[in-house]
Amino acid sequence: MMNKGKALSLMLAATLSVSALTACGGNNNNNGAASPAASGSSAAASGSADAGAKDTITALLPPVSPTYQDNFDQMEKDFNAQYPNLTLKIEPASWEDMTQKLDTQVNAGSPPDIAFIGSDGIAKYVQQGMALDLTDVATSEMTGDYDATPLEYMKNGSGLYGFPAYMEVHALGGNKQFLEEAGIDWKKVQKDGWTYEEFREAIKKGVVKNGDATSRYGFVFATAGVASKDYLGIMAKSAGMPAAFNEDMKYAYTSKNYLELLTDLRQLIDDGSMPKELSSVDAGKRWNMFLTGQTMITGKGLATFENSAKKNNEKIDAKDGSAVKDSIKVDYIVLPVPTFAGALPISYTVVDGYVAFRGKKEPTAEHKANIAKAAYFLSSGKVAATTNNDLFAAHITKSARDAAASMPMERDPNNQAAVQTMLSHAAPARPDIPAELGAKAIKIENEVIIPKMQALLANEIKPQEMYDAVKKAAIAAFGEDGIVQD
Amino acid sequence: MAQPAQSAKKRKIKGDGVWGYAFIAVALIVYAMFTAYPVLSAFIISFQEYKPLGSTYIGFDNYTATLKDDLFWKSIKNTLVYTVLTVPVALLLSFLVAIMILPLRKKLQAVFKAVYYLPVVASGVALSLVWLWIFDPMPGGIFNQFIGWFGAHNQNWLGASATAMFSLVIMAWLSSHGASIIIYLAALLGIDDSYYEAADLDGASFLQKLWHIVIPSLKPTTLFLLVTAVIGSFQVFQNAYLMTGGGPDHATTMVGLLIFDNAFKYFEFGKAAAQSLILALIIALVSLFQFKFLGKDVDY
Amino acid sequence: MSLYNNHTGSRAGKTARNAVIVVLLLLFALATLFPIYFMVMSSFGDPVEAGAVSYSLWPSSFTLDSYKFFFDYSEYSYRWILNSTIVAGAVTITNVFFATMAGYAFSKLRFKGRGLLFSILLAAMMIPYQVTQVPLYILIVNTFQIENSYSALILPGLVTVYNIFLAKQFMSSIPTEIMESAKVEGCSQLQIFFRIIMPLSKTVMAVIAILTFMDSWNTFFWPFLVTNTMDMQTIQVGLKNFRFANTTYFSPMMAGATISAVPMFILFFSLQRYFLEGVTVGAVKG
Repeated sequence: MMNKGKALSLMLAATLSVSALTACGGNNNNNGAASPAASGSSAAASGSADAGAKDTITALLPPVSPTYQDNFDQMEKDFNAQYPNLTLKIEPASWEDMTQKLDTQVNAGSPPDIAFIGSDGIAKYVQQGMALDLTDVATSEMTGDYDATPLEYMKNGSGLYGFPAYMEVHALGGNKQFLEEAGIDWKKVQKDGWTYEEFREAIKKGVVKNGDATSRYGFVFATAGVASKDYLGIMAKSAGMPAAFNEDMKYAYTSKNYLELLTDLRQLIDDGSMPKELSSVDAGKRWNMFLTGQTMITGKGLATFENSAKKNNEKIDAKDGSAVKDSIKVDYIVLPVPTFAGALPISYTVVDGYVAFRGKKEPTAEHKANIAKAAYFLSSGKVAATTNNDLFAAHITKSARDAAASMPMERDPNNQAAVQTMLSHAAPARPDIPAELGAKAIKIENEVIIPKMQALLANEIKPQEMYDAVKKAAIAAFGEDGIVQD
Repeated sequence: MAQPAQSAKKRKIKGDGVWGYAFIAVALIVYAMFTAYPVLSAFIISFQEYKPLGSTYIGFDNYTATLKDDLFWKSIKNTLVYTVLTVPVALLLSFLVAIMILPLRKKLQAVFKAVYYLPVVASGVALSLVWLWIFDPMPGGIFNQFIGWFGAHNQNWLGASATAMFSLVIMAWLSSHGASIIIYLAALLGIDDSYYEAADLDGASFLQKLWHIVIPSLKPTTLFLLVTAVIGSFQVFQNAYLMTGGGPDHATTMVGLLIFDNAFKYFEFGKAAAQSLILALIIALVSLFQFKFLGKDVDY
Repeated sequence: MSLYNNHTGSRAGKTARNAVIVVLLLLFALATLFPIYFMVMSSFGDPVEAGAVSYSLWPSSFTLDSYKFFFDYSEYSYRWILNSTIVAGAVTITNVFFATMAGYAFSKLRFKGRGLLFSILLAAMMIPYQVTQVPLYILIVNTFQIENSYSALILPGLVTVYNIFLAKQFMSSIPTEIMESAKVEGCSQLQIFFRIIMPLSKTVMAVIAILTFMDSWNTFFWPFLVTNTMDMQTIQVGLKNFRFANTTYFSPMMAGATISAVPMFILFFSLQRYFLEGVTVGAVKG
């Protein structure tokens, strides 16, 4: 008992002294929050400016593709081999928590040098003054390697804030057998697209009823929670609203096309072509419905789904019980989004990439140049080739295309052509939208559009009510003159 | 909180002031560094438009904006509804389970304690995936199959305003009572047998003993559980975050989720800080009320 | 336990009563256990993507592949469990010790400002953690510069207000006379605490230990923020690596969740006897 007591008091004393020490440390630096204290990249930033000086670049990276994080060690090694004085330090993070971690680090003034994010997030960090403009350190050798369109997405105003990794089209996916049974000429649709009216009739034909219950729907889109934003966003592009703002910087989602789009989307559910429970169908659920033959068309569709469907077909053939339960063999057909209100087809493209950040301290020119080198290394050549192949995503750099030439890929030629067609009318990047307007639009999206869309899909409000709510919020944010009125 | 301390004062040991401070020293130091300092920072930030590269003071703007924000009040209302529906039920269930486990043989006691403790140990993220399946909107969903036996039509549980909050409440009722059951059991076992013996001599019934011995003896425990559960419930955000994202149409937007969104989604850190402090004030008032109401005759 | 009138009524009556209780407890347990059941069952499925989950009540196949997948997925899988054990273990020990101490002081010792200090401690619980997270991060990472270390994971949780509150509430039921008589016999406060209070508080210490360990083990956000490398991640952070952009490896994730629940279960059973004994004050008094 006494021994135990002694040990415990010792422990107490030890802890007390440790705490006291750290407390002193705290007092000395207590105003760290307000003063230009050390930032995450400080070690690097304070390095000497000599050419070839040692430097470390930190990168916060999510599991971009299933095998991506396995290659981290190799990437670090390869980078070091290419630039012996530089060290690339990769921090892994899961997709869904990535933004939160980055935002905490940014708010604390110590972000990593590079983070992998969607290009639509750049505006937010530019507005905070935390994104790092690489324009003057990106060599023409680097920028010349990228296709022009995706590179444009990494710009805001006149600044270039990183390098793109891939450009993907978010489209729809169909079950070949069901499409043909419903008499839909999918090859023609892949080539020429379809209008809302054509699409509506097509998915009506896809419905199979078993008495009162629907055993197969024509169309199911993942809309649970935040995915409702995807649904509306993807459809709005082809409804004459390729971005939240038109060329004159007026907020676009108050146009009459928006109301028509909402009416159409509601109609698809009322027709019985889409499930009335659509508002809580999530990504996993609708993919399961697609593989088990409960829907003819699904969305959103990514190139890599062709691969997932193919793998499941192989498992069904193997008959070892590892295939999705009750699943049927499916040939995945890439389909474009229909056009609404007579608008031109514009595809919803997503460009993600390696965005550069600064800490509280302005980085040295040397460190900036090194960040550009690292971002370029990650988004081109072998690294990009491997990752994009893994994702079935098209390559967007010459160097990656060269590197990929030796990597075999098995893709359906029709699908590949369909993706190319859609990429040819990709929504143009809008670096001209000021960061402040962009931030306001995102806020309206989160606070009004997403919640109201959920209510619309659940049949709790009418399209007109949602339209009015969006318009009201838009007028409050941008004024009567700041919105489209037609 | 000062109230029970006052009334109990005369029963405390005298002349141990120094020891009192020594015993709480570590707790206070840890508290000052890792709780008080961040709270103080948040307090300062609440008067700023926060920017990592230099914030600007904007006075009470964050507070006035919050008080005028309909969404803030809606989220407070949602949180209140959630708290009122979940906390009392959870406490009652835990209490009943603890009381029911008590008379069983030790082996059985051990089994049930483990069984009820089990749901607490599993990670919330993994379990939320299971709950999403339980609330699957299609006729194949577990809950829809269940109500189907009674002839009811399948419901769009999480997707409709009418049922979304109720779904989260059901989830709370059916999960994670482990901690409170354990705490109640520990408290039950701490009741001095001599009380029961005296009551037995008087021929007291089970219910009389429950009412006159158990419930009064458990008052400090109940107070603790109630206060912490209400605080936890007012800050709850994970359920809504993982299950509904606050939707549909803000029907399940809890104030905790709103603060989280402001801090990490919109970068409006000053506003988030102001909202937290307003929330803290509300919680403090509610807690004070609980201490006054329940704590006045707690025997210290 | 003599809350129930064991000596009155017949033996059959007692058996019948217990049978009813067991049935009721089982029914409620069934409802609360279902998600766990599904988690464990799914962990024995094939390591497939989430869209492929069959959502059936009975496993269609039984395989340990997902466990293998979990450990093969990252070379750090074991390391995550080790890290969690170190962090949760350290935090549990410090909490049990310091919270008991502080709880004792707040409930039984008289000193100036006691009520006020306790109120200030409690007030901190009322501030949502979302807002204190960024200042705390600035403190740990920018000021102390100890990110990606065990210190960063352990220090903020050394002793929590929740545990102090819990200890205080429990100790209020220890009769003050015990301490008074100990003082009369010449015990110092330290001796009173170690020789009388701690043995009497085994139950609440065990409760604190379990709850703290569980809480620390399940914490995700803080370790996620302050760790930069996979070798310093805890199991909860590591588990999230199984969620990708468009797919989740469902079964391996459930396998990981199952594995991560095991240490807590071991701890629970090893501390179980402290609840069962239930320290009775009366016995010590005599």
